Amino acid sequence: MGLELTIGTVWGLPTMEMTSGKCKFHLVQAAAAPMAAATGSAAVKTAKSCKKQRAAKRQAGIYTYQEPPHSNSDEDTGEEKAESHDPEQIFQNIQYQKEVMSNIRCRPWPMRQKLRALRQAKEIVLKYEGRLTRTRGYQAAGAELWRKFIRLAYNFVVIFIPWEMRIKKIESHFGSGVASYFIFLRWLFGINIVLTIMTGAFVVLPELLAGAPFGSTLSKTIPKEHIASAQDLDTIWSLGGYLQYSVLFYGYYGRDRRIGKAGYRLPLAYFLVGMAVFAYSFIILLKKMAKNSRMSLASASDENYTFCWRLFCAWDYLIGNPEAAESKAAAIVNSIREAILEEQEKKKSKNLAVTISLRIIANILVLLSLAGSIYIIYFVVDRSQRLERAKKELTLWEKNEVSVVVSLITMIAPSAFELVAALEMYHPRTTLRFQLARVLVLYLGNLYSLIIALLDKVDSMSVTDSDVNSNAGNSTHFLSTKTLSKDNFSTSVPDVQMKSNSIVTLEESLTQGLTVSDSLLNNTASFNSQNPQDQCWETYVGQEMLKLSIIDMIFTVASILLIDFFRGLCVRYLSDCWCWDLESKFPEYGEFKIAENVLHLVYNQGMIWMGAFFSPCLPAFNVLKLIGLMYLRSWAVLTCNVPHQQVFRASRSNNFYLAMLLFMLFLCMLPTIFAIARYKPSLSCGPFSGQEKIYDIVSETIQNDFPSWFNTVIAYISSPVVVLPALLLLFMLIYYLQSIARSLKFTNNQLRMKIQAERTEDKKKVVQMAVARIQNLDGNDKRPEQENDLISQESSAWSSTPRTNGSVLNFESPASKGIRIHTISQSVPQAVPSADTARPATAAPTAPASGTPSASVASVQKARNDQVTNRYSSAVHGSASELCKAKPYTAVPSKKQIEDVHSEPLFRRGLRQVSAEAFEAGAPVVVGRSPCAARYFLVNEKEPRRKPLRTASRLQRHLRKDDSGDIIELYPRSVRRYVVRTPCQVYSPHPSEDEEDEEELRREFMSRSHRPRSLSDLHPAPRFYIGEHGDGHILMSKDLARVHYKSWNDGFELDLDRPPYVYRKVHLNYPEPRVKPKSKQKLEQSLTESDSISIESSSDPQNSSNDQYIQVIHSKEKYPKFTKKKPKTSVNLGMSEPNELVCSNV
Amino acid sequence: MGGSASLLPRDLLGEYQELTFLSKQEILLAYKRFSELLPKEEREISCSTRVPKSQILTLPELRANPFQHQICRVFSTSEARDDSMSFEDFLDMLSVFSDSATLDIKSHYAFRIFDFDEDGVLDRNDLEKLVNCLTGQGEESRLNSTEMEQLIRNILEESDIDKDGTINLSEFQHVISRCPDFASSFKIVL
Repeated sequence: MGLELTIGTVWGLPTMEMTSGKCKFHLVQAAAAPMAAATGSAAVKTAKSCKKQRAAKRQAGIYTYQEPPHSNSDEDTGEEKAESHDPEQIFQNIQYQKEVMSNIRCRPWPMRQKLRALRQAKEIVLKYEGRLTRTRGYQAAGAELWRKFIRLAYNFVVIFIPWEMRIKKIESHFGSGVASYFIFLRWLFGINIVLTIMTGAFVVLPELLAGAPFGSTLSKTIPKEHIASAQDLDTIWSLGGYLQYSVLFYGYYGRDRRIGKAGYRLPLAYFLVGMAVFAYSFIILLKKMAKNSRMSLASASDENYTFCWRLFCAWDYLIGNPEAAESKAAAIVNSIREAILEEQEKKKSKNLAVTISLRIIANILVLLSLAGSIYIIYFVVDRSQRLERAKKELTLWEKNEVSVVVSLITMIAPSAFELVAALEMYHPRTTLRFQLARVLVLYLGNLYSLIIALLDKVDSMSVTDSDVNSNAGNSTHFLSTKTLSKDNFSTSVPDVQMKSNSIVTLEESLTQGLTVSDSLLNNTASFNSQNPQDQCWETYVGQEMLKLSIIDMIFTVASILLIDFFRGLCVRYLSDCWCWDLESKFPEYGEFKIAENVLHLVYNQGMIWMGAFFSPCLPAFNVLKLIGLMYLRSWAVLTCNVPHQQVFRASRSNNFYLAMLLFMLFLCMLPTIFAIARYKPSLSCGPFSGQEKIYDIVSETIQNDFPSWFNTVIAYISSPVVVLPALLLLFMLIYYLQSIARSLKFTNNQLRMKIQAERTEDKKKVVQMAVARIQNLDGNDKRPEQENDLISQESSAWSSTPRTNGSVLNFESPASKGIRIHTISQSVPQAVPSADTARPATAAPTAPASGTPSASVASVQKARNDQVTNRYSSAVHGSASELCKAKPYTAVPSKKQIEDVHSEPLFRRGLRQVSAEAFEAGAPVVVGRSPCAARYFLVNEKEPRRKPLRTASRLQRHLRKDDSGDIIELYPRSVRRYVVRTPCQVYSPHPSEDEEDEEELRREFMSRSHRPRSLSDLHPAPRFYIGEHGDGHILMSKDLARVHYKSWNDGFELDLDRPPYVYRKVHLNYPEPRVKPKSKQKLEQSLTESDSISIESSSDPQNSSNDQYIQVIHSKEKYPKFTKKKPKTSVNLGMSEPNELVCSNV
Repeated sequence: MGGSASLLPRDLLGEYQELTFLSKQEILLAYKRFSELLPKEEREISCSTRVPKSQILTLPELRANPFQHQICRVFSTSEARDDSMSFEDFLDMLSVFSDSATLDIKSHYAFRIFDFDEDGVLDRNDLEKLVNCLTGQGEESRLNSTEMEQLIRNILEESDIDKDGTINLSEFQHVISRCPDFASSFKIVL
């Protein structure tokens, strides 16, 4: 496994030769390894390999510098040869290969590699699939076919996405922002197509095919007095004449309940389709919004990485046009500057009075213009109706002034708002928001005032009509009509006299609004005998909406041509002979204002929704309009526009657009629904003539055409008995879902915080290690030997610990000595681990970062990467239970070490030289460092270590017998394991290095003792620095060392050598001087205490230790400068402890 | 398209489709565009030849891109490290920049594009270069040193979770995955 993985690492780096990249590799694999290793013995090899690979892959998905296919294939082929013919295993393998194939494209490999991997996987699948059962083979073949088909279909479908290439082209020139407008347009186009199909298939076509032909009924004939002008251009233009009496409008549809041979229920269909239009729009909108919000990770919206996004996501890679690129770059610079400024001035308060007053003024202006526009619309509608009353013949302008004025306002007002917004000095984004909100309000206001005025006009029109016909007046009668209107005595008296005074009352009625209009409707109804077609208010509304839509289209085209195209032409060709730079100063090129344009689309769609019920062909018209708009706009954008400076964020705004659209839909639906629910349909025209209400058609159908039981059921369902509880239930459901959503959000937040906390924890650990390693790197130069020795001792200790309780027997440990032994063992870890842990730590972070290490050191580092990675990965899993996780790693590192070990000798030599040279200066520094490391270690690793240590110390003798062989079964910590090996292999090949080599060779256990000795020979100082500094007994320390070694050899009676460590420990815990004999016991206590602490709450102590650590590090990094200071600190440390040291020696 | 399509073996085309996020048309188009970059005599074997970086950068899609050199470097598998691209590299690039590529892979490559010194982390120098790339070389558009300092500090504050003074891949992906615009703007369409 280990080997395979290393192969993987080698292969994984074909393109990037980064050292840290390699580190990461190790991380990945080490993290993956435990899972794999945990799966079990070699017997289950293939199944294991699958899991292994998957695990590796999962990990690899995160760290994307991952193992390449080669390792897979190597494993696969290797294993498959050995593997049995167990179909289950084969199946799993194949499954795995398929998985590889299915998401291979998601891997960041170069193509060659992917290709190889894919081919290999395919080969394997092909080869082994046959061995499986036949059904599985068929399944696989079927799946393959299906996939091919899907691909084909996908390729096919792509062709039919309208304007795909066009949009892509725009996208590539202007970026995604502009493209989002066109995508939105296309989406609207899609919706309108569906609406068109709905109305066309269920309403228009049946009417055309099966309905009564043109001219057959009164409502389908052009009245005689109009027939002459029915084909005039201006009549057609104002949608009168033939157009008015066509399927375009509500009035044309027949009132027969069933038409054609099949008995198609046209009125019912008309009503249902009218409702379905809204329902469909709602559903599709909400669906789209839900999808969008899912995509945009709405839950994470509270996380804001303003700066990062501005930087990392700033560039729009689609931009291919140099001009667009320029303006984009400028926009990016602006936004970055803005952000910086904001950050800088966040706390500063500005002169608020001026800005606030300015903003108030601006808002007043905006409100005034809104009110003005609404008034103007109302006035125009009013005026046109007065004109109609006064004149027989209207000019073209008079006929169209309403739509023209509305369109003009929609065109001009946004620019005015923009000017006003400049006053406010908001942040651009806020400005944009305000602008959009104002424009939306304006559009809505326009539509609403228009529709209200229209409804009024409908009434007045019918009234005036009647007025023309009848001069006599009977005001009282009319008044009674008016009052009773709600009771619907409706067709009351078709009395010509009735309307006499209506003009007077009309003025009132206009102001009184809808109730009056209601009554007037009744009046209209009463006049059907005279002039039926004029009383069809539904047709009238439909006409107006269609007219508005047409005029709007014309204005859009005009504005595109004028504002964009001709301006662009002028700017381009006149700029040479003009006195200022036209391109950059005043007229410039037209900007493509995404937001406004999108709003315009929304507005347009709102008109469609508003009028669709009264003019079934409106969606069809809108489809044409959108197609035209698409081509025109895209042409204009490509030829004469530059992208908006203020780039409106594309994907986020998508939902914003949709939200506006939804809002619009709702508001546009209201008048229609209101009219349907409130007004009585025209008597003489349309499918619902003669009914009280339009929706009566449903109940009527149910009553007449459904079985009676269904009737009763409906009656029950619609009764309050059912409706009220249902409503309640709905409310409860909403509340429930909402609370669930809230709680989910809450847990989401919690989890996120937890992840963050844990990640920081882990990172801290890594930093600790890195720090320790950096420290030690410096230290390494000086005293590699010692460390190794320590490690070797340590490792032996560790290795032997676990199972070999029997070993204790070897070494006669009487109960009485127990205490002593313990102290020893514990003292060892303090010092030894310090060296041990510190070293591996160096590898991870930082080979690049710390420039210090020589090449030789580097090799060692690499060798030890695995250790670090082990540690790291366990840390990644965020567990305090490092122990458990550490176990599985063992196998991997141990193999690696074998190789690594070979490199070590080099390292040693180099180091030794270094150390010899730098010995003088280095020693004290090292001294200063080691305690820190020790401290760190104590806190961090106490838990796993404790037991092993105790046993270990006892087992040292035992070790010589079963040296390296033990290792594998030994104590789980990979770190130790690894260390264990080094002694045998490293040392044996280089016997010449030390004088005591022969000794070593003779007796293995001696090596442990011997190492220290050699060390001491080389650097006596570092070891017992405390003693040196504190007491100044340099000789003493050497002696001590000697004693110490002997003690190792002789047994464990010798507490003498340990004391330094012991003392350190004690010093940490109990700074005050204390009595010799008790010190050991106290030591133990302290140790156990700290142990328990570390076990129970690992994090806090770690942190604290970190702090200490980090401080140390900093000084370390500046080590060259501070070398002189260092000794002091060490001295200080030493100063407090001399007593103990001495004591222990004694 | 038909002429050049015949040069791409069928099965290879299928494999390319499986290995990239591109549709058949897009691959063929890419092939066409790619072979247009080559001199005439080499078009026959455009699958195996490499297009030098200077040629690649003449593509309008890359021309305006401030990261063009980085993009070439990241996607080039040239052993000579001259950032030349083979057709497969080219496809790789288009695949990563295509519409349907996953956010993961996009952000991974974005990271590599931003990692100017290829050391696996974004450090201060990388960020500085990145900003300079974005702002261009103009005197007035360039950020001055205090602004730069502030910007980098803020960026690290936001994204550097482990506070090691650099942004590593996972930190980067964390930030990027929350950026609503990234997926839509990290695209190149032929």
